[in-house]
Amino acid sequence: MAKSQPSMLGLPVYSSVVPLLIIVMACVELCDAATVIDVYRLVQYDLAGVPFGSRLAALNHHAGSSLFSSSSAAGTAAADLSRTVLILPVRELNLTFIREYIGQRKPLGGLLLLLPPLFNPENVDSRGGSDHGSAEDVIKEVLIELEQLLINANIPYPVYFGFEDDRVNAVLADVKKNDATGQPATATTGGYKLVVAAPEPKKIASPTIANIQGWLPGLKADGDSNQLPTIAVVASYDTFGAAPALSVGSDSNGSGVVALLEIARLFSILYSSPKTRGRYNLLFALTSGGPYNYNGTHKWLRSLDQRLRETIDYAICLNSIGASSNELWIHVSKPPDNVYIKQIFEGFSSVSEELGLKVGLKHKKINISNPRVAWEHEQFSRMRVTAATLSELSAAPDFLENTGGLSDKRYFVDEASISRRVKLVAESLARHIYGQEGKNVDIFADGSSLSINPSYIHSWLQFLSTTPRVAPFLSKNDPLIMALKKELADHTVEVRVQQEGLDGIFTFYDSTSGKLHIYQVASVTFDLLLLLVLGSYLITLFCFLVITTRGVDDLISVFRRPASRKVKTA
Amino acid sequence: MTVFHFINCAILTFGPHAVYYSATPLSEYDTIGTSIKAAVVYLITALVKLVCLATFLNVSESDSFDPYQELLKASIGFIDVAGLYFALTQLAHRNISQNHKFQAVGLGWAFADSVLHRLAPLWMGARGLEFTWDYILQGLEANANLVFSISLAALGSLMWLRKNKPKTLIPIIYACAGIVATMPSITSYLRQGLGWHFPKVVGFELFSSLAMAFISWQLFAACQRPSS
Repeated sequence: MAKSQPSMLGLPVYSSVVPLLIIVMACVELCDAATVIDVYRLVQYDLAGVPFGSRLAALNHHAGSSLFSSSSAAGTAAADLSRTVLILPVRELNLTFIREYIGQRKPLGGLLLLLPPLFNPENVDSRGGSDHGSAEDVIKEVLIELEQLLINANIPYPVYFGFEDDRVNAVLADVKKNDATGQPATATTGGYKLVVAAPEPKKIASPTIANIQGWLPGLKADGDSNQLPTIAVVASYDTFGAAPALSVGSDSNGSGVVALLEIARLFSILYSSPKTRGRYNLLFALTSGGPYNYNGTHKWLRSLDQRLRETIDYAICLNSIGASSNELWIHVSKPPDNVYIKQIFEGFSSVSEELGLKVGLKHKKINISNPRVAWEHEQFSRMRVTAATLSELSAAPDFLENTGGLSDKRYFVDEASISRRVKLVAESLARHIYGQEGKNVDIFADGSSLSINPSYIHSWLQFLSTTPRVAPFLSKNDPLIMALKKELADHTVEVRVQQEGLDGIFTFYDSTSGKLHIYQVASVTFDLLLLLVLGSYLITLFCFLVITTRGVDDLISVFRRPASRKVKTA
Repeated sequence: MTVFHFINCAILTFGPHAVYYSATPLSEYDTIGTSIKAAVVYLITALVKLVCLATFLNVSESDSFDPYQELLKASIGFIDVAGLYFALTQLAHRNISQNHKFQAVGLGWAFADSVLHRLAPLWMGARGLEFTWDYILQGLEANANLVFSISLAALGSLMWLRKNKPKTLIPIIYACAGIVATMPSITSYLRQGLGWHFPKVVGFELFSSLAMAFISWQLFAACQRPSS
């Protein structure tokens, strides 16, 4: 039996195996394992019950690369993108279109915005300085606008931020190639599927904000029962941004925190010896809730003892002082001819001239009926405490603007200018404390034991530039708060962390970051085709085996039997 | 990918076994019992092989090709031949011709191998979202393996069961059996020693399996001539 038709062996099997092999060989280059990248979700929050931000976290759709892939080409109605995740690199983002798209609330499966690696907080080695290129500045401007657009919109689909890298760029190039052929990515054409497995975002129960304060007590003269006057140095440390997990705020207000810590360190050296201890108490406060109308500052001031609050001569708030410019502004809310304001301004401007900086005075009245608090010193002014904010910003930022979001990264902050500004503040404070105003003394001279320590500034800036600090997402004992507390405790005494609830109009939702899985999927068409090929392979195999082992007649009888049965039933 | 893809791959992996059984006279003579016995023998053999591998083989950290280890692996692989010998000669089979016996044993052997080595990865992997060619290739490999198993069983039955075979063919039969039995080691050498990719290895396996099947068929036919 077996020897019946040896010559035929191989031919039918080959005829089915060879095409299979050819298909396999042709497509083998396509296969690669699933790619996983870190992605960061757009913030989701309610403001007085009104929803803002991205309202979904889970993502499971095919990838697309353009808002109007087929609509413009085919001239038909806009393509249905409700089951497509758009991958848009911020480098080539068209803001007008995206604004229109979000404004008209068109459906979309999801949005993945790719930021240049420069904006990755992990990427701290990209040093900034005065020599950064204009391309980066352009992207920064785009990002600022995009961020404002996204956080002030209610977006019913998930929006994620990722960073460009080789793998994602390769995927994007592939997706673009597919889109160029005019075939929208669907189940029948294959392509890439983007999946973020995330549970429904949950409300963060009673978010807290933590204010940290420390004292440097001044030297009381013998028998003097009066309390010493106090000077407060304040910086708000938390941030807010489109992606909470990326809001590291190197400039706003990492630079202010760094400056405050360095000033505390310098004065702690001075105050450690009774000979050089001044006749002023110094109060250092790192406040939270900065983006939310300086809610933390407000609560902190309220909790201060009334008598103590009255001893505060004035408060200096540090806000966004890290950019490499020579212009600084002192923002005040009392009229410039006020004695204290004049004194502060004159103190600063005389030192700034020596340092080659330019300090201007800006006066902005407080409107008590307006809930918006644009500057930190306004919270002091509302409590009738003289205060001023030192900032490189010339105009008051709007609500949730300039709060250390997406674009505020290490790259755009200049250590040297922070050092200069630390010196400006420390020197003018010291001259005021020791009564050296107008005299040309250099207390914190370079090279002395009281010189500013650039490596201290560097390391703290590096740390803050990699640590997201959106207050509602910080736990009570967050390592960041503990680190700041410990650092203040190293330089000052009576360090206290004050935990307060964030005022009620804000509700935040969790799941700020996730893992994006990019799968290359085959289409249903491919599977159908495969099934056909396999079916014909098995049938060929069957026929071949029947013919070789039993003979052609048997094969015919095998196929005839079911046919005759059918006839019978019919 | 999807359940659909899983079904496709399963058809490719296990379909040929079923087709072989139903298309050849094996189904007419109801040899399923023999195949099941062979499968059980395969399972026991695999267990023994595992114990031997675990006892004698070092776990290599790298994926490199170590000749000594591979030699050891190949010699442990000959336990398969012993198992096959047992299945062919020691098991009592109801009146079944030699012709069908080796086919039934080879089929049971290959099917057990596919179930043991390919079903679990298929179930875990092919239903995933990511598309890879691996599972289709693995199915093709199962096809090649079926042909190898039947060839080996045919050669085994020639070696151990047929008494009056031409003397000149005996060395060729032994050589072919040796080649087929060492095929796992050869493919492992191709993959690790020469760094061939999976598709290439599978292509080689398919080709060599067909070649070996052809040779063993010719040998079988040649041996049958004097007896008939």
